[in-house]
Amino acid sequence: MPPFRRLLIANRGEIAIRVIRACRELGIAPIAVHSDADVGALHMRLADSSQRIGPPSPRESYLSIEAIVDAAVRSGAEAVHPGYGFLSENVEFARAVEAAGLVFVGPPPATLESLGNKLAARSAAAAAGVPIVPGTTVAMTDDLTDLVEIGFPLMLKAAAGGGGRGMRRVETAGEVADALAAARREAASAFGDGTVYAERLIAPARHVEVQLLGDKHGRLAILGERDCSVQRRHQKLVEESPSPAVDEPTRSALFDSARGVAGAVDFHSAATVEFLLDSRGNHYFLEMNTRLQVEHGVTELVTGLDLVAWQIRVAGGERLPETVVGATSRGHAIEVRLYAEDPYRDFQPTAGRITTWQMPSGPGIRVDAGIEADTDLQPEYDPLLAKLMVLAEDRPSAIDRLRRALDETLVGGLQTDAGFLRWLVDDPAFVRGDYDTGLIAERWSVGRQLTSEEASMAATAALAARLGTAAPGAPLAVDVPEGSAWGRAARHEALRE
Amino acid sequence: MSDHEMQVEGERATPSEAWRLELIDADRGIGRLVGASGSVPVLVEGAGTDWVVTLRGRRIAVAVRSWRERIMAEAETAAMAHSGPMAVKATLPGLIVAVAVEVGDEVDAGTSLLTIEAMKMQNEVRAPRAGRVIDVSVQPGQTVATGAPLLRLE
Repeated sequence: MPPFRRLLIANRGEIAIRVIRACRELGIAPIAVHSDADVGALHMRLADSSQRIGPPSPRESYLSIEAIVDAAVRSGAEAVHPGYGFLSENVEFARAVEAAGLVFVGPPPATLESLGNKLAARSAAAAAGVPIVPGTTVAMTDDLTDLVEIGFPLMLKAAAGGGGRGMRRVETAGEVADALAAARREAASAFGDGTVYAERLIAPARHVEVQLLGDKHGRLAILGERDCSVQRRHQKLVEESPSPAVDEPTRSALFDSARGVAGAVDFHSAATVEFLLDSRGNHYFLEMNTRLQVEHGVTELVTGLDLVAWQIRVAGGERLPETVVGATSRGHAIEVRLYAEDPYRDFQPTAGRITTWQMPSGPGIRVDAGIEADTDLQPEYDPLLAKLMVLAEDRPSAIDRLRRALDETLVGGLQTDAGFLRWLVDDPAFVRGDYDTGLIAERWSVGRQLTSEEASMAATAALAARLGTAAPGAPLAVDVPEGSAWGRAARHEALRE
Repeated sequence: MSDHEMQVEGERATPSEAWRLELIDADRGIGRLVGASGSVPVLVEGAGTDWVVTLRGRRIAVAVRSWRERIMAEAETAAMAHSGPMAVKATLPGLIVAVAVEVGDEVDAGTSLLTIEAMKMQNEVRAPRAGRVIDVSVQPGQTVATGAPLLRLE
């Protein structure tokens, strides 16, 4: 018996598709939602039906609690899966779903509330005996005497924060006032709450997180860790499991802390407990994300479990069996995020029309994407194009597989971070597993330089294309293919010169 | 060989005898560069003088100009250097969140003109050269596409 007959997915893009696929496998009818900008999008086509929820602006569509709850009720859904981002950790949304008599696929609203505020989460973790980053546990006032005790450099963070917004690094006492004002402004505009707190800067540090899955009967599965240290703007680009920086004693300490945080709240569903790991192997609690993570697929690859299916099944009241609670990891998985961002211009977003879209496949490769060729990117939404994941027996072979996967990947029409990712898999520090959250700041300024060989290769390709002197790739062919508009143009070009 | 001059990301570059282009899908420009040590997949898009070569994940802008096109481009650059009105255009699509200048303001090269928010990030648009603002065609709250005129400098 499927846990629900119909389930509405309150999201778009690759994560909506991921949830739709889990629904299909569970025998649940998936209902999509779409804004006017997403008419005809892949997630809309793969669902049984799709409800229009508003204009392109996220505020009036994917962030509109009213529009989504209405759509859920109208479509006869029994449950709502929020995906990640948008309303996934929104307490009012979870309450509104429950008030409409539907099941929210996620932890109880009260848990979202207590963990959504990072200051409250820090206090809860500390009370459970979990190490937290030294710093303030109450909202910062303009009295800065506490900061001297924490020491510089330090980080200012938004209590309601996430995704690196409302976050500022402060080097000296003299910079605090300006940074505090900026962090408050950014936090107020992004989250409607300008509360800021301070933490000592842990550097160098690795960002390691533990995956949890819990049922409504008090059973908890600890499903390994993921290393997410390759970041830009405090946002993740690469995730791998297991972490090359975590040995067995550290791993069991991390798991104990994760269990401690989860035990301090009423928890079920999927969540992630995030930690910083310093160079001596000490770990510090950062936050607990009470939703499916973008990078959940990494854990699915090494554990063989379907986290999304289990999220839905425990939401329906099912117990986690021994096979899930006692699941162990096997092999090594790496995910890289393909973003519409220009790594040669500080990872600024790019936009336009995807012309060529060629994704890798074959042994040990998984691609979660919501994009197709001839898609116009919507500037209103997240610039994530696809998640390329690999699984192999160990880390060196996972890197070899990832390099192969990236060489099979071709995206035309706009700049992506693929060039950065391709550089990364050959970077000696990354290959050794010896990297931290400073990798991009420290190594990419050199890595992004075009080598003279690459420049002359590009020149060779462009010149041959213009003159029509490229050899056809098919064996035995001796001319540019007949009937090809491109080939005709090239020949015409060659004659004209 | 040809008399074409090549610029890769704005820098002079010369083609290499060590690599040769093979096109597998000529319509879409999908192919490979073949060298002594093996091959590298490439995507070659473009026409005329302007090409984009995607190599090891990176899109690289390549200008291929004959001597005639070179002379014309130089003449155009020279004309641009004279202080005629200049339109500042959006380099990315997004939402105008702030406009920092008004008509009549004198700005230096590098002065922040306005802020565009795209994909959760705020991007400053700076003056490409010194001048006086003679026209502002956008206001906060407005969404713009890439290439949309934002304001003009004299």
